[in-house]
Amino acid sequence: MNEEQQMLLDSAQRYLRDTYDFNSRRDMANSEQYISTTHWQAFAEMGWLAMPFGEQHGGLGFGMEEVALLSEEFGKHLVLEPMLESTVVAGSVLTYPGVAVESSHIDALVSGEKIYALAHQEPDTTADIDNLSAHAQHVANGLKITGNKAYISAGAVTDYFIVTAKLEGQLALFLVPKDAEGLTVTRYKTYDGRSAANLAFDMELPFSSLMARGDLARSAFMTMRDRAILGASAEALGAMQAALDTTVDYTRQRVQFGKPLSSFQALQHRMANMLIQIELCRSLVGAACRALDAGSEDARRLTLAAKVKVTSTARKVTQEAIQLHGGIATTDEYVVGHYFKRVTALESWVCSREDALVDFIRLTDAA
Amino acid sequence: MTDYAAFRLEVRQFLEASLTPELRRAGKLTTSVFSDFESSMAWQRILHAKGWAAPDWPEEYGGPGWDIHQRYIFQEECKLANAPSIIAMGIQMLGPLLMKYGTEAQKTEIIPRILSGDDVWCQGYSEPGAGSDLASLKTTAERDGDHYRVNGTKIWTSLAQHSNKIFCLVRTNKDVKPQAGISFLLMDIDLPGITIDPIVSLDGQVEQCQVFFEDVEVPVTNLVGDENDGWSVAKSLLEFERGGHNFTIDIKKQLGKVRDQALRIRGRGGRPKLEDPVFRTQLAEAEIEAMALEQTELRIKGSFAAGGNPGALSSLVKAVGTELSQQFNELSVDAVGRAITPYFPEGLDPHFEGETPVPDYATTTMAEYINNRSATIYGGTAEVQRNIIAKQILKL
Ligand SMILES: Cc1cc2nc3c(=O)[nH]c(=O)nc-3n(C[C@H](O)[C@H](O)[C@H](O)COP(=O)(O)OP(=O)(O)OC[C@H]3O[C@@H](n4cnc5c(N)ncnc54)[C@H](O)[C@@H]3O)c2cc1C
Repeated sequence: MNEEQQMLLDSAQRYLRDTYDFNSRRDMANSEQYISTTHWQAFAEMGWLAMPFGEQHGGLGFGMEEVALLSEEFGKHLVLEPMLESTVVAGSVLTYPGVAVESSHIDALVSGEKIYALAHQEPDTTADIDNLSAHAQHVANGLKITGNKAYISAGAVTDYFIVTAKLEGQLALFLVPKDAEGLTVTRYKTYDGRSAANLAFDMELPFSSLMARGDLARSAFMTMRDRAILGASAEALGAMQAALDTTVDYTRQRVQFGKPLSSFQALQHRMANMLIQIELCRSLVGAACRALDAGSEDARRLTLAAKVKVTSTARKVTQEAIQLHGGIATTDEYVVGHYFKRVTALESWVCSREDALVDFIRLTDAA
Repeated sequence: MTDYAAFRLEVRQFLEASLTPELRRAGKLTTSVFSDFESSMAWQRILHAKGWAAPDWPEEYGGPGWDIHQRYIFQEECKLANAPSIIAMGIQMLGPLLMKYGTEAQKTEIIPRILSGDDVWCQGYSEPGAGSDLASLKTTAERDGDHYRVNGTKIWTSLAQHSNKIFCLVRTNKDVKPQAGISFLLMDIDLPGITIDPIVSLDGQVEQCQVFFEDVEVPVTNLVGDENDGWSVAKSLLEFERGGHNFTIDIKKQLGKVRDQALRIRGRGGRPKLEDPVFRTQLAEAEIEAMALEQTELRIKGSFAAGGNPGALSSLVKAVGTELSQQFNELSVDAVGRAITPYFPEGLDPHFEGETPVPDYATTTMAEYINNRSATIYGGTAEVQRNIIAKQILKL
């Protein structure tokens, strides 16, 4: 780890340790508010919302490796604020070379003043980009877009949605304000303590809302997807590591049959297996991040591999964490089940495990 | 020879006529072993009027006198028709136990009220310090004339918040080896000195409670079995808890649900998710596991019917049944994808009529996935079942 990365990690660990204990996180998740504006402001001030952007955008010029460092810490603390959605995913599209967007949007994102999120997923579908129902057409003074989006992460707090739709048979990306005429936003909480929204729209937008179409839209989307996958994988890595740490601590203290649970070899092996699998994931995520930052040819294939491996491992590890705790882990008051709920939500965020697997096979066979 | 086809038809017609849309809704919206409480009780009263509330009970106690195949058919038809579940603590657990160990007074007073649903029982075994190692329990009952004075706490007590009665394991002798100093005690839950704290589960709902006892006076006549003989009484109950349940029925229902979900989701190329080869293969593999379980349950039923005792095989079925059921939960999660994310508990209330952000086919998926993690924890953990198999079958 270089000096800059160490500083980033130190400050993240310090901030989260001091301000993001499980109980206040739980109170926030159970409150009527969706996120803490205090935290969000602090994230902006520490530069976290600007991390991956170049200096021309007021950013820190960090790569995926640094994003992953931070995301992993977010995973350990079950951070509720949508850094991945706004900075990593939306930010990746907004700053993609050739995407048409006013720089004031990037300023608003970086300062935390506005929150941006991808609105791609549609009801009753997987997130395949060739399979979109939302569609756009040219009308007198702009474009008319019709369709539905569902389960849009951070949707309840989003100011601008990046909406995917078909325009003349091609993928197109639109920037749509939450209060656009003809847009209905249904907001709700999610099982992982966050928020989401469903969108129904039949709206006329100015030409300027079209950010990209065709090949440009596609490559911006795929680049965004790689980053989303790695951000989410790093977060899941943090969550499963924390789930293992919690389990190890708990089994050391919990006595049954006159002995700590940790002294049962059957349970030791289970925890050893959790560790083995986590380390394998860590290796893949790290390699994929480095490959992406270096622009290596195998970056996407490594990214997809990380997605597949991390998704199944996080599921298994957090299930085991619950099992090895027993009853206590089935309560809202205890942290370990919340790791399980969070990694479950991450499984299908932006890209499902299956889609990653299919794309991995395609890339492998094409090579 | 019983005409099973005719029996199935009779059951089906009865369910058709007696399950109101509200009750079916409650059945459909069930996300754990328990359905909406009021709906369960309403359904039990309807079954009771027909004489079918306790399919496993002998006729002398108000059971229908069905053989093992009829009971299976009944359970299966109820499941298929989306009947709410019947709360197990009274009918499955305490009832059979009292038939075996209860005094005449207990039998005549308590058993009919279990059947009718006039009494709702909860099970007070586990304690904060005594889970898998149940024998280490610390709640004490000290003899004081014709009363016991009970002090301590029970935890994970399912439905204590809805119950008017609780059966407990309590310590009546501290000076012997742990199993030898335990007694089985019945209590009214509104006795002075009892307080109930609800526990919020991971799905945001309350199903379990912690129950506290402070100088609670319980008449000695509420003892079941002999003083200090509660362990063997309870052990036979654990067998009732584990046996009798047909996992295959639940799992077949889950299989049908996953297929339906996977047909409604459009995957790559706009084709149903069910046609996705990755998903289809996984589902087929799980289905094969379910077939193996089904044949095992049939073998056990056969041995029961022939008067045998499946013994530790019930541990095998408990372990496999719960784990396989969890695997189907995962397939459901995989099938519906993002639709698991909305947290909308209002939509799980059978009386709710508004709009929900989740489609019908995914309303219960995440809550079921979360809650069913408990299936390998309650009723003896998956590890404890393997300990039993290792000890009793492998003699290790
Ligand atoms: C949803 C739910 C409903 C419940 N309802 C009731 C109820 O109505 N009434 C009631 O009395 N109780 C109830 N329980 C409690 C349940 O019976 C206990 O949770 C269970 O016995 C496990 O105990 P524990 O939670 O203390 O876990 P622990 O016993 O602390 O076990 C923790 C982990 O260690 C493992 N372990 C323990 N000992 C060993 C060993 N020797 N070898 C290998 N592994 C071991 C366990 O398998 C588990 O994985 C309920 C629990 C749940 C989750």
